[in-house]
Amino acid sequence: MEPLPAPETDCYQIRLEVFEGPMDLLLFLIRKKKIDITDIPISAITHEYLSYLGRKEQINLDREAEFLLMAALLISIKSQLLLPREQPPADEEDPRRPLVDRLLEYERMKSASLLLREKEEAQLQTWRRTSLPPIDVADEPGLIEISLFDLAESFFLLLKRRESENFQYLKAKEVSLDEKMRDIIRELEERHYLDFLEFLARQESLEEALIAFFCLLELIKAGAVIAVQERLFHTIKVWMRRSRPLPENHGQPA
Amino acid sequence: MDSPLKDILEALIFISIEPLSVDRIKEVLSDRTEEEIRRAIEDLSAEYTREGRGLRLQQVGGGFVLATRPEHDSWVRRLLQIERKTKLSHAAVETLSVIAYHQPVTQPEIQAIRGVDSSYTIKTLLEKKLVKISGRKKAPGLPLLYRTTDRFLTYFGLNDLGELPSVEEVAKMLEEGDVPEEKRPLP
Repeated sequence: MEPLPAPETDCYQIRLEVFEGPMDLLLFLIRKKKIDITDIPISAITHEYLSYLGRKEQINLDREAEFLLMAALLISIKSQLLLPREQPPADEEDPRRPLVDRLLEYERMKSASLLLREKEEAQLQTWRRTSLPPIDVADEPGLIEISLFDLAESFFLLLKRRESENFQYLKAKEVSLDEKMRDIIRELEERHYLDFLEFLARQESLEEALIAFFCLLELIKAGAVIAVQERLFHTIKVWMRRSRPLPENHGQPA
Repeated sequence: MDSPLKDILEALIFISIEPLSVDRIKEVLSDRTEEEIRRAIEDLSAEYTREGRGLRLQQVGGGFVLATRPEHDSWVRRLLQIERKTKLSHAAVETLSVIAYHQPVTQPEIQAIRGVDSSYTIKTLLEKKLVKISGRKKAPGLPLLYRTTDRFLTYFGLNDLGELPSVEEVAKMLEEGDVPEEKRPLP
């Protein structure tokens, strides 16, 4: 490789890390050289691009593999341009076209993100009230209702915790979905609410915990119970909904 | 007759933490028409602007909130003893733009536009509840589809997705040129 061109001015001595990715770097080079984006001189820009990569003594493959992928793409476009053709290529056959489209879209998104950044800036300087004295809502506690993903995350957290227990256990007793559902409802009727993690942790085996988890999902889906968090990062509690009917067959404990 | 309604609305908006929607107001004030409510909100908003108060009525995330004015930021922070609110990272805002303008969108599609692996950034945005999973795309592998949330709107002070900077605004910014370079942090 020929010696790298010396950086023109100090302000262009920019580390690779300040670029969001290869598209960002490529766009920066194109704009810096004031190149018409629809007619990129691939050879020159590839050279520029590689010289930026070349300034690094070592390429960290984990972080910078994407920069290399772009270099490979540029070289492959160049080789396609070099292949002799019988007829001059039609516009849509230009091998640079897909890359140009991607670059234009990326540039649009980048500008949009700068506009969003301005809005963020303005919004960060305005303040709203963030807390209120507790309000008693007639039927259900006024808590944060959580999504399936929060529940699943909690569940996996629990599984991870139990991994370390490394039990050797004999085949556990068979538990049916019906039975477990009745257990949950009975417990809810006695205690009004369940601590989600604590309840699952109490299950004897992984299978039982899984069945209990599915029962809870089923009950939430039927609207018979509600899963809420009193505060972010607090434990998830499952409450019975008095106003809703229980799913059929599970109405009353037999 | 107008003034009591306006005062009631002010009370309702004051006591709400999340943006208060007109629908929600209609539930509370069932004897008032939407027209009446909207007009009263406009009056209220104009009053806040005209009289130069410390608060303003903001329409964000599909509802109304009372918020402090930007020029009082430093005083509020001194009271709350907060140095500065943390901003989102470059990667996060860029990924958010891609999701906001292309939603519903899959992770491979986001990656194709940005040219970099975006899985970690998407995970952070999910945790911050600025984006959500809205389903799966009927495509090979059934990839998850992402959308922006109401919290996204509120965070950027937008009322709905229609208030995102338009294609024209973005194009104008591109014509003015070189902004990305100027704003690029130098090492």
